[in-house]
Formats: sequence, C-alpha cells, structure tokens
Amino acid sequence: METPAIFWGVILWMIAWGVLGSILLRRRYFARDLDTTNANFVGAMAGAALGPVGIGALWAKTPELTGRIIVAFALLAVVLIAGAFAFADPKNNCVSNGSFVASQITNGLIIGIIYGFMALGLTLIFSILGVVSFAHGEFYMIGGMLVYYITAVWLPGINPLLAVMGACAIAFLIGALFERLMLTPMYTGKIDRPVEYGILATFGLAFTLQYFVQAIHGASPVKAERFIDFPRIRWPEDSDPLWIRASRGNLELFETISISNPRFVAAVTCILVLLALLYLLHRTWTGKALRAVSQDRDAAAIAGIDPHRMNMLAFALGGMIAALAGALLVQAFSWLPQVGAIPAMRSFVIVVLGGLGSLPGAFVGGILVGLVEAAGTGCIPDAQKAASYIPAYGMIVLTLTLLLRPTGLFGRRFASGAHGQ
Amino acid sequence: MKRIPDIAGVLLLAFFAAFPLVYTGANYDYVMHVLITAFFYAILASSWSMLAGYAGQFSFGHMAFMGIGAYTTALFCHYFYITAEPTGLCTEFAFFGNWFVIVNPIGVTSTTLTQDCLRQAMAGWGDSVSVTPMPVLLGIVLGTIAGGVAGLLVGLLVLRLRAAYLALFTLGFSEIVKATISAEIDITRGQAGLELPALFENGVTVLGRTFDKTDKIPPYYAMLFLLVACLAILAWLARSRFGLFVRALREDPDAAAALGVNTTRYKVYVFTITTAMAAAAGAVQAHYVQIITPNMLFLLQMSLVVAMAVIGGIENFVAAALGAIFLQIMLEVLRTSFTIGGVEIDMTTWRLVFFGILLMVVLRFFRNGLIAPVIARFRRAGVAEETVAKRRAGEARS
Repeated sequence: METPAIFWGVILWMIAWGVLGSILLRRRYFARDLDTTNANFVGAMAGAALGPVGIGALWAKTPELTGRIIVAFALLAVVLIAGAFAFADPKNNCVSNGSFVASQITNGLIIGIIYGFMALGLTLIFSILGVVSFAHGEFYMIGGMLVYYITAVWLPGINPLLAVMGACAIAFLIGALFERLMLTPMYTGKIDRPVEYGILATFGLAFTLQYFVQAIHGASPVKAERFIDFPRIRWPEDSDPLWIRASRGNLELFETISISNPRFVAAVTCILVLLALLYLLHRTWTGKALRAVSQDRDAAAIAGIDPHRMNMLAFALGGMIAALAGALLVQAFSWLPQVGAIPAMRSFVIVVLGGLGSLPGAFVGGILVGLVEAAGTGCIPDAQKAASYIPAYGMIVLTLTLLLRPTGLFGRRFASGAHGQ
Repeated sequence: MKRIPDIAGVLLLAFFAAFPLVYTGANYDYVMHVLITAFFYAILASSWSMLAGYAGQFSFGHMAFMGIGAYTTALFCHYFYITAEPTGLCTEFAFFGNWFVIVNPIGVTSTTLTQDCLRQAMAGWGDSVSVTPMPVLLGIVLGTIAGGVAGLLVGLLVLRLRAAYLALFTLGFSEIVKATISAEIDITRGQAGLELPALFENGVTVLGRTFDKTDKIPPYYAMLFLLVACLAILAWLARSRFGLFVRALREDPDAAAALGVNTTRYKVYVFTITTAMAAAAGAVQAHYVQIITPNMLFLLQMSLVVAMAVIGGIENFVAAALGAIFLQIMLEVLRTSFTIGGVEIDMTTWRLVFFGILLMVVLRFFRNGLIAPVIARFRRAGVAEETVAKRRAGEARS
C-alpha cells in the first residue's frame, strides 16, 4: 500500500469518526440533560483522535467537559494528523528538516501576531457597534499606501515613524467621519435590520476606498523602504553557532531561524501598541467606557457614558488599528489597491475563531491562524499550489469553528450592540 | 394608475425584444454585448435580491455559485467527447456503439497544448473518424444543477448562522472556490482560463435567417429569455406561500418557526433556487464569452452585484434587475474622459468610485433603492381613496 493512500485513509477515518462523534455525543449529552455547548467539539476531537474508543469512553462516562479535556483531545487530534503526515511523506521538508520547521514556526508566530493585532480592530468594532466591518481590509490598504506616499512621494526623507503616525491619524479620521455620516441611523432604531445595514454600508465604504485609491494611484505595485536597519550584532562573541546574529535586513537566531527585518519591526511594534491599547482599555476612563458599552449599552448610558460617541471612537480606533498593521507591513510586501482582501478574510477567520467580540480571543486566534498558514505553506509538497491555497487554510479553520464551536475560543454567548437579534 | 408599472414592464420587455431587430448603429455588436452583459448581471442581481432582500440571507458568495455553474459546463465541454472509434490513448468506455472519451488534463504549458490524448488520436485518424463534443445545453443544465447542489450544501452548512457570520462564511466560501480554481492549474488551467465552445457552435437558423456562431442575436435572446424566466420564477415564488414564509423568515425567524414555518427547509430552498439561477446565468455567460478565468470571481464582481441590487431596490427583484441593466449601461457609457478647468478626468477609472459613493448615498437616504419606490408609488396610487370609499360604503350599509 502506498504511503499517501495510508495518509488519506487515516484522514478519512478521522473525519468519519469525528463527524459521528460530534453528532452522537451531542445527542448523548442532550439526553442526559448536560451542558451541550462543548459536546460537539469534544465529540469531534475524541472521534478524530481515538476513534470508537474515545467516543465510547465519553459516551459511557459523560464527564463534565472542562477546558483540560477539551484541550487534551484537540491536541491529540492535531498530533495524530501530524504523525500520519510524517509517516506518509517522510522526505517532506517539514518532517525531515528541523531548522526549516523551527523557522517556519517562528515566522508563523510573528506573522500571527500581526494578524491578531489587525483582527483586534475588527473585534473592537464588533463588540461595540455589533457590526462586522467589511472595510477592514481597505483600512489596511490605505494605511500602507499612505505610508508609501508620505515617505516616498509627498515628504521624502521624513522619519518613517512620523509617516506611520500620520497614516494612522488619517485612517482614524476616515473611520470617525464614516461612522458619523453612515452608521448613525443604526443606533436609533430607524432601520429595520441594522446588522445588514452595517454590512452593506461598510461594504460600500470598502468599494469606494479601493477604487478611489486605484483611480488616484493606478495599479502599479509599490513598496516602502525599510524603516530602520538592525545594528550589526554578534552575540555571544565566541560561541558557535552564534545565538543572535543581526545584519541590516535580517536577524538570525542560532544560525537556523531567519527573521526578516520588516516583519520583526512590525511584530514588535504591534506588541507595543497592543500593550498601549490594553492600558487604554483597562486603565483610562475612555477605555472603561468603551468596555462598559460593549457589555451593556443601556446601563452604560445610565452611568453617564454617551454610547454614540463610543461607537465613533470604536470604529475609528478599529480602522486605525488595521491601518497601522498595513503601515507596518508595507515595508515587507508590495502594495496594490486590492491588497486588503486577503488580510480582511484572515481577520474575519481570526475573529470568528477567537470568538466575535473577544479581545484576547483575537490575539490567540491570530497566532493560531499564523501557525496554520505556516504549516500549510511549508508542508504541502507543491509550493505553487501551497501559495495559491493560502486563503483556503484559514477558511478550513473558519468552517470547523462554525460547525463545532460557533462561539469561538473565548466567545461570549451574548454581547450588546445590534447583534444577537 | 395602478396598472402603470405593469404596462411599463410590458413595454420595456417589448422594447428589449425588438431592439436587436430595429437597431442599426455602426457599433451594433458592442451595444449587443453591453446588453447581454447587463442581462447577465440582472439575473445575478435579482436572484441575489431574492436571497438577501426577501429572505434576509446576506450571502456574499453569489459569484462563487455563478463560477461553479460556469466552470462545470466548461470542464464538461472541455474534457468529455464522444468518438466513433476508440482512441486507445485516453480513458474511454463504450457508449451506445460509440466511445465516451475523457481527455487527460494537460495543464497550461503552451508547447503541450495539442498534446492531449484525443488530439493525438485525431491527428492519427485524419478526418475519417467523427468526434462529437458534448451538447452545450446539457453542459448548461449540468452547471445549473451543480450550482444548485453547491447552494444546497452551503445552505445546510449555514443554517445556524445569522447575519454577520453568514456573510463572513459565504465570502470565505467564495474565496475558497477562487483559490481552488486558481491553484488546480492542471485541470482548470488557472489564470490562463478555460476555453468553451460558443453558445450555438454550429450557428442557428430561425425563420429562414441563418446566424453565425459569432452573431450576437442568438445569445442576446438566450440571455433575455433566461432573465425573463428567472424573473417569472421569482415573481411566482414571491407571490406564493413560499414568498410569504421567506419574508417571515427575514423579519423574525423565531416567530416564524413558532407559527409553524419550517424555517430550516425554506432557508435551504431559497439558497438552492437562487444559487441555481446564478449558476445558470454563469454557464450561459461563459458560453457566450467563450473563455472563463478565476477573475470572474473577484470580489469586484460581487460588489457590483450588491451595488446594483441596492441601487435598484434590494427588496424588489424586478427593481434589482432594472438597476443592474441601468448600472451596466451607465458603466459602459462612462468609459470616457473629460476635462474640467485643465484637469483631465479619466472616467474609466473614476466611474467605480462614483458608484461606490452612489451606493452609500442610496443606502443612507433611499433605503428601498431608487427604482423600487417608483414602482411602489404607482402601485399604491389611489389606495387611500379606495380605502376611504370602502369605509364609506361600509358605513352606508350599516
């Protein structure tokens, strides 16, 4: 029997038992009058990981599904898939080549942090306005475009940090203006179906922004200069391999993991801004007001918070976060007016995976999606196909999440705003 | 007054039916092409408005179903042939005295374009053996069915999803379809595109007049017929219990379920029907333009359909179709450039910006679109007087 046949056989076996487990266990927990929220997920994972044994054990004992059980089964299933893959294709780069795996994981983590940061903006908008912004990718795009135009066309020689801040400020203004002009009728009950209105309105904004930039800029790709160069580092001096070796555009850890300068700078900036954002949300009056509105709009209004102003702030902040992600990545990727589509899709996946409206969920989800994409691009033998399928990896995650655990990793059942209706 | 929309509709239909026969401009083929494309978008916009406006299921994957329909018929016509003799090279089996041949996929490399097994066999045969391609109509029917089945499956998957989740999932589905088509270069030829036979490959003869396969009149009437058929089906559905249930589903799924509407079933039905319409439109359009690429599935196309439906009137599929025809014609008319105060403005690039702004303005200030309220206005004309008269009559009787 050929090895790929074994691999696909194992996968089919896992899928079959996973489907069966998710259906059976949900029924079992339902019949026993137990909490069924996680039964789907655990059933699928137990079926996938252990087949009839796992389902049988859970069926017989119906234990309370704590976080530990959930994580254990999920990890087991992932390990099993990885094992089957390694067995089926032992010569594959991501099985035999340890340093490749390490650098792939590191890069997945780094890009995942940036994705997670971008998704944070989306989830901030959703948790307060109850609207999924379909213009998120376009904010990302104009962030990058503005940085390119400021540093290369309008004010050559300007400090890139100022350019990034300028791009963020403009994105903030666009977000605030759009919210004031277009989204205000949503809050007063003038519209029958506010959620759909919000989707269409942001969709319209995305359309307009994209073609506006295309009309002004044209369709030629651009790329900004590196913001800063790494200093030359060799540390520690006398060890072999060197633990850290940095040159202008590259950073190497242990001489195996290579991280490019733009991604590193972007990830570090994202973490710093994230910390600032957490400070804003948890330590300042405005941030507390924002969180209060996301928890209970009416109660917040009684406590003297103007929910409409918080809506504006949230939308503008969310747009600004996306623009910042774009502004940081314009030095890493070449930029087109259409560049926002894939990051926007990714943010949607992350936000659903983490739980719509959950801030930590967005970050964890971002890292998970970054790792999944790194695994997908690294492990599929045909490199060209692997690259073409990039949007699909996230979608597999999205589909599984929606089927097995629609609330996401950290999802709240109910949130305020116009959703949940 | 109440009959005015009906009369206007009949007149408009008569106009479109007679137009290709009376129009004699120098740019005849171009105008025909614009109108055929406009009908294509009209089918998409009206079926989308049924799905989004009537049933409240905001799906952004409509173009994916259109693409599934188009690619099904393309692959069907591209890979299956019937020959009189076995080729001895391809996968083939006996088929009512002939041979059903499945051509092997050869990818996009230009040097191997004529290297698939059937072409090699044909080179050996010369002209002695007849090779029959698959009927285009069967391909279109299969495409429609494939689109409907895909819609059924997606409909089953998204049953529990509401508003935002549904929009995200369908958008993602559309991205997956596009990624798959772009990536499986061996079979779909990726960005190089797949060539299709023309809608009427051997030409047609109607009433003694023979039309070549490049003539625009047969595809024009085919697309117009499809549009009218779709609108008729939609109108019939909207007036039946189905329309009532589906609107109840939109307004409040829980209340509808409590009143005995099988919400699950109707959600799946409306998905299946509208996606099958999109797939049919895609299949016919693919045979008309004779080449399809994954670019047909770009988000721009979906945005255009959404803009058309919203500007026409999202809750009225006739208005959505009219909006689509109007917008498509406008998009072509605006392919000009003009100069204001020494600044040359190239409308070819700016027209889409204006449509985006128009979309937002319509959304904000004309929530029912621009065309639907006009229809509604005529329909409601005299209703007040009638009610007053009825009340008077009732009072007089009592």
